[in-house]
Amino acid sequence: MVMQQSTSSTSVRKAPVRRHDKGRAMQEAAMLAPAVVLLTLFLILPFLLSFWTAMTNQPLVPRPTPVRFVWFNNFIRIFQDDLFWTALWNVSRFTFWIIPAQCGLAFATALLLHQKLPFRNLLRGMFFLPAITSMVVVCVIWGTLFQYPTGPFNQILGFLSGGAIQPIDWLGDPQWAMFSLVLLSAWQAYGFQMIVYLAGLQGIPDELYDAAKIDGANAFRRFWHVTMPGLRPTHVFVLVITTIQAFKLYTQVAILTQGGPKSSTETVVHYMVRAGFEEQKMGYASAVSVILFVIVLVIALIQRQLLRRFDV
Amino acid sequence: MGKRLLWSLVLSSALTATWVQAAEKTAIQVMHQGDPGFVAAYGKVAERFEAANPDVDVQFIYAPHDAYNEKFSAAVMAKQLPDVMELDAPFLANYVWSGYLQPIKPLIDKDLLDDMTESNIAQGTYPIDKDLYAIGLTDSSVVLYGNKKYLEAIGARIPKSVDDAWTWEEFETYLEKLSKLDGVKWPIDTFRGYGIKTEWITYAYGPILQSAGCDLIDRKAWKSGGTLDSDACADALAMMQKWVKNGWVVPQSAGTNQFFAEGNPAALALGGHWVYAEAAATMKDNIVVLPLPKFGAKGASPDGTWIWAITKTSAHPDIAGKFISFLLKDKEFRSFVASQSGYPGLKSFAAESPLYAPGGPMAIAFEQASKTAVARPPHPAYPTITSAFMQAVDEVFNGGDPKEALTSAANKIDQDIEDNDGYPPFGEEQ
Repeated sequence: MVMQQSTSSTSVRKAPVRRHDKGRAMQEAAMLAPAVVLLTLFLILPFLLSFWTAMTNQPLVPRPTPVRFVWFNNFIRIFQDDLFWTALWNVSRFTFWIIPAQCGLAFATALLLHQKLPFRNLLRGMFFLPAITSMVVVCVIWGTLFQYPTGPFNQILGFLSGGAIQPIDWLGDPQWAMFSLVLLSAWQAYGFQMIVYLAGLQGIPDELYDAAKIDGANAFRRFWHVTMPGLRPTHVFVLVITTIQAFKLYTQVAILTQGGPKSSTETVVHYMVRAGFEEQKMGYASAVSVILFVIVLVIALIQRQLLRRFDV
Repeated sequence: MGKRLLWSLVLSSALTATWVQAAEKTAIQVMHQGDPGFVAAYGKVAERFEAANPDVDVQFIYAPHDAYNEKFSAAVMAKQLPDVMELDAPFLANYVWSGYLQPIKPLIDKDLLDDMTESNIAQGTYPIDKDLYAIGLTDSSVVLYGNKKYLEAIGARIPKSVDDAWTWEEFETYLEKLSKLDGVKWPIDTFRGYGIKTEWITYAYGPILQSAGCDLIDRKAWKSGGTLDSDACADALAMMQKWVKNGWVVPQSAGTNQFFAEGNPAALALGGHWVYAEAAATMKDNIVVLPLPKFGAKGASPDGTWIWAITKTSAHPDIAGKFISFLLKDKEFRSFVASQSGYPGLKSFAAESPLYAPGGPMAIAFEQASKTAVARPPHPAYPTITSAFMQAVDEVFNGGDPKEALTSAANKIDQDIEDNDGYPPFGEEQ
């Protein structure tokens, strides 16, 4: 992925303009068609529909009362709802914590596993394992680990501190609940970023390291002046992917905290599902999804800017 | 040659016979929830029903309790409604208003209809046309369970009937005394362990608001603002917030059933009637059943449970009705429900349940049904009403401002009603 991006954007040589013959155009259209049809059917159309639905009072299931066009009423209500702002603040908080936690962990393990360790591939597999485990399963297991006051985490903390650390109500205390979700999520998903980093590390040519060695650079300087610049596009990619994923936080909340306690783990997606499926307000939920789309779009635009600035 | 012909004839006629038999079977779909015990019990009832009606095939659709309404919505949208569906009583108005259910009276055995208790009729009746849309073997209630040993240690008064239930002051005095008693970790378990997004919250805590003199929604004007966010409701929630803050309530993360867990860490339990069977099994004679306290001028207790209805789209409403009647009369099913301390919704079932008979250990729970039971608002906006209230309770239990939380909930409810043009004919002058 990373390699592809760097090669495609560095080689911006223009292809020679060729006269289009009809047969070729037909061929191109035929090859594009499946993708265009699928994208339209499953991506563009649903989005347009949700934008339309967002401006109505469409209920989840058909009702005797008429569906009305309410213009931007849903949006106004969402912006007036404290809970929505709490949800937005919470995902921002989550994102702010998860990026250093998850990317840092992924980077560290990738550096470790890039060394010529014995059983390197086995270790890579092991570290990647949580990423392919279903989040639902992970949540159920961690739910037990987090248990208050007698769960394993509390027992370990109590044992290590000789009883000085009081049991923590990981999921039941508004101060701790989001942090607990960060821990769990970082652990579950860092394997993906780790693989990306490993690919990035393998993309740095060995000659650069050899040259640096000849120039007398020590391990730290080699890391700082060869590895880090070589990983720039990887860093940006990982950062952006992690941010977008973080904004979509839902499963962990739905299974472990249901948005509580005291809305401390309410997220935008959870807020949307709650409005759409529990309160059966599809129009309102669609409006939330449109807002989420705009937020993610902004992040994606920032990504483009960053990529350009780093000249990759 | 002749033999071969004969064989093929025999074979084909046998095939046709089985095909005809298969085609004759009418399938009815039954959507339900329930714990594993009940699911197994339904399966056995269906076997007996099929044995008695060989031309019927009962197909079950299991939908877990927590996502039942979501699953039902999916069935509606896919136009695959079952013939028979179990539903939670407070959601009845929403389903009938939306046009999914049909009146059930002509389809159910008459002796069963005559056998229904008052509150059972109430939970299955749609308030607009006053017609019956669902029936159940059971109803439900919440009582205050007490640990006799602890209550005697603090010299608490033990009410003998619903009429002399504890008052607000008495109740709080006892909670405070219990909090200082040796062996009591928490004075009361209100089953917060069920989670912050379960019907339990509206079901069990709603009556505390009603007892304190307010309600989730005004039941004449069908407006929540001015009622749910009134001072009476805010004070009632503030009172519960105080219990939590004082550490008197079992925290959510400590799980449920602390009342009868090892060592009895909770002295009281605000629990459903279904808690009794298990509690009595571990606590034996040490358990007393008390009516819910009076938090204002009058007492209030919840009612309503999962009941059976027939959908409007059912192709075989008569068979659906026959199955429901069979289920409610089935002896083995009844004895299973009785063993689970099932709360009677039929008079004959009450007679079979010594638990609830006068003098029985749960007699007070049954007495509540006729004296203090208040149904949850029978209004099509109920899904929003309950969701908004749950949100407010979670907010307040974790330190939020009661007035603010309730105002936000009331706004949400009124907005939903407004979005649906007031859910006519609700809210119109009648």
